[in-house]
Amino acid sequence: MTERLRDIVRRTSQHLRSNARLVNYYWQRTQRNKLAVFGLAFIIFLILLALIGPLFTLDPTAVNFEEKNMPPVGFTIEQSIYNIKTNEFTTKEIPGTWKHPLGTDSKGRDMLAMIVSGARVSLQVGLIATGIAIILGTIIGVLSAYLGGWADNALMRFTDVMMTFPFFLLLVLIVFIFGPSLVFIVLAIGLTGWTGIARLIRSEALSLRTREFVIAAKALGASDNRVIFRHLIPNVISLIIIIATLSIPGVILAEAALSFIGLGDPTVSSWGIILEAGQTSLNTAWWVAVEPGIMLFLTVLAFNFLGDGLRDAFDPKSNI
Amino acid sequence: MGKSWLRDYIIKRLIYSVIIAWGILTITFVLVRVGPSSPADKYLANLAARGQDPAQVTAAIEARYGLDKPILVQYADYVANLFRGNLGWSFSTSMPVIELIKTHWIYSFQLILLSSLFAAFLGILIGIYSAVKQYTKVDYAFTFFSFIGISIPNFWLGIMLILIFSVRLGLFKTYYDTTLPLFSLDNLKALVLPVITLGTGMLAGYVRYTRSAMLDNLRKAFVTTARAKGLPERTVIGKHVFRNALLPLVTIIMFDLGSIVFGGAYLTEIIFGIPGLGQISFNAIFANDYPVVVAVTIIGTFLVLLINLMTDITYTYLDPRIRYD
Repeated sequence: MTERLRDIVRRTSQHLRSNARLVNYYWQRTQRNKLAVFGLAFIIFLILLALIGPLFTLDPTAVNFEEKNMPPVGFTIEQSIYNIKTNEFTTKEIPGTWKHPLGTDSKGRDMLAMIVSGARVSLQVGLIATGIAIILGTIIGVLSAYLGGWADNALMRFTDVMMTFPFFLLLVLIVFIFGPSLVFIVLAIGLTGWTGIARLIRSEALSLRTREFVIAAKALGASDNRVIFRHLIPNVISLIIIIATLSIPGVILAEAALSFIGLGDPTVSSWGIILEAGQTSLNTAWWVAVEPGIMLFLTVLAFNFLGDGLRDAFDPKSNI
Repeated sequence: MGKSWLRDYIIKRLIYSVIIAWGILTITFVLVRVGPSSPADKYLANLAARGQDPAQVTAAIEARYGLDKPILVQYADYVANLFRGNLGWSFSTSMPVIELIKTHWIYSFQLILLSSLFAAFLGILIGIYSAVKQYTKVDYAFTFFSFIGISIPNFWLGIMLILIFSVRLGLFKTYYDTTLPLFSLDNLKALVLPVITLGTGMLAGYVRYTRSAMLDNLRKAFVTTARAKGLPERTVIGKHVFRNALLPLVTIIMFDLGSIVFGGAYLTEIIFGIPGLGQISFNAIFANDYPVVVAVTIIGTFLVLLINLMTDITYTYLDPRIRYD
């Protein structure tokens, strides 16, 4: 199986490399969409943040109650502090400092460090789970279209059943049963998120199957494998890229939502977990809930902008 | 001819739905059984914590829940029980799961109904306006805001609304008041923030779908004909274009109800403390109350199945051109 996967990846990259002009053309078209470029720029920034950010930030798990609930730079809050010796409360103005540019949470952990390490979690989950869903969906879709008959029927009925489950409720059930570890969460999202992709790929492959070049390949004696991997899959690649870009935000949100309701991996600082802690301290430290949410929002927005831009670029009918 | 094909079609759809329902039950059963801990284990942890002998308790639970029977018998029992409406026993609340659901479903229902109405009405209106004024500043503004509405995580939006309108401005309570009578103005006021939270994403989606469906139809020849006949623009847009754009919209709205809204409602209920099905499932997760978590998923899924079936049947009435053969 992995052999086969490696093969697809190699051939796809070959396909794109040998068509440099085509890639350039699509890039030109995507570039014309300003929002898509913004989306791409933000995603690159996020990847860099996740990869090398942790080298420059403080330890996201370091608890320091001396510096709890510090506001971000530029903000000042009033905090009442209890003095044990004199037994009275004093109000003190606490300004944000550059030591903690985004402030600290109720345990004195550095928000910037937590946000950066959360970016890593979100991207990992988003990319890996989407990858699993795409591979599974493509295999099922292409197989279904190519095999036809009872196999197609069985696969599509199974897809129907999986599609009837409301995505989030099924995720909650699976993660509840198997326990909240990041590996299971990624697997659960990947193994439930393939249905829409399988349907799209199937319908695309069905129409391709009757095209002359596929019939010609078969007439020349090409094996099923060859037809599927050399003719069907390369022709649905653009569709796959678009679906992948557009499904990543849903996956990132699903992980955040699971963490938010307490089904997240407690060993990592995911944006959803920070957000959940933030909701309980809205009165004392509003930024704990605001900051991870803004990151989540911008990430989803960026992927949506890019996905829409790619869709327009790949669509020969749209003139942008 | 006549209506006989329609009857046949409905019967076919019903049989098909029963097969899907069976698939849903089977997948849920398999999931629960292959899980690393059986329902008994989670129950056991609770009882063992109260100082009872684990071995005795395990045997008692297994006999009580039929977990000592062969797996196929368990499976048959499970399916039969569900069809009788027996969803199991919730030990964290000490009542049958079905009773628990009967007392709480109305809270989810009112939230979902109000949010859907809010999103559909406003979304369709803005979508039509945007399509008619295509490429104007207003259209760009609506398109941009619909992008934001789609991308904003609804649980974060809920928290921000609480932060701004409840914590800072003090206009609303931070938590839903469960003592309010359901059909009262106060209850409606308490639901304002939750409805905006759940409705914004849907609203943005409907604006986009309505706009593109209207634009698709605006370019069709029958619109030119209608205009050439000298019909007023209001009639052209309202009767000719919108009627044709409505059908795909109905599908999308119904599909949303099934796949997205239940997840969104789950989170919205938790944020605002609305005691609906999402909230009882959420509480059950922390209490390790297996039957409740499973039941909420199954009920949600069955509702989706029912909605899909109804959509398909309404469709054949709405559009006489559609024939499923």
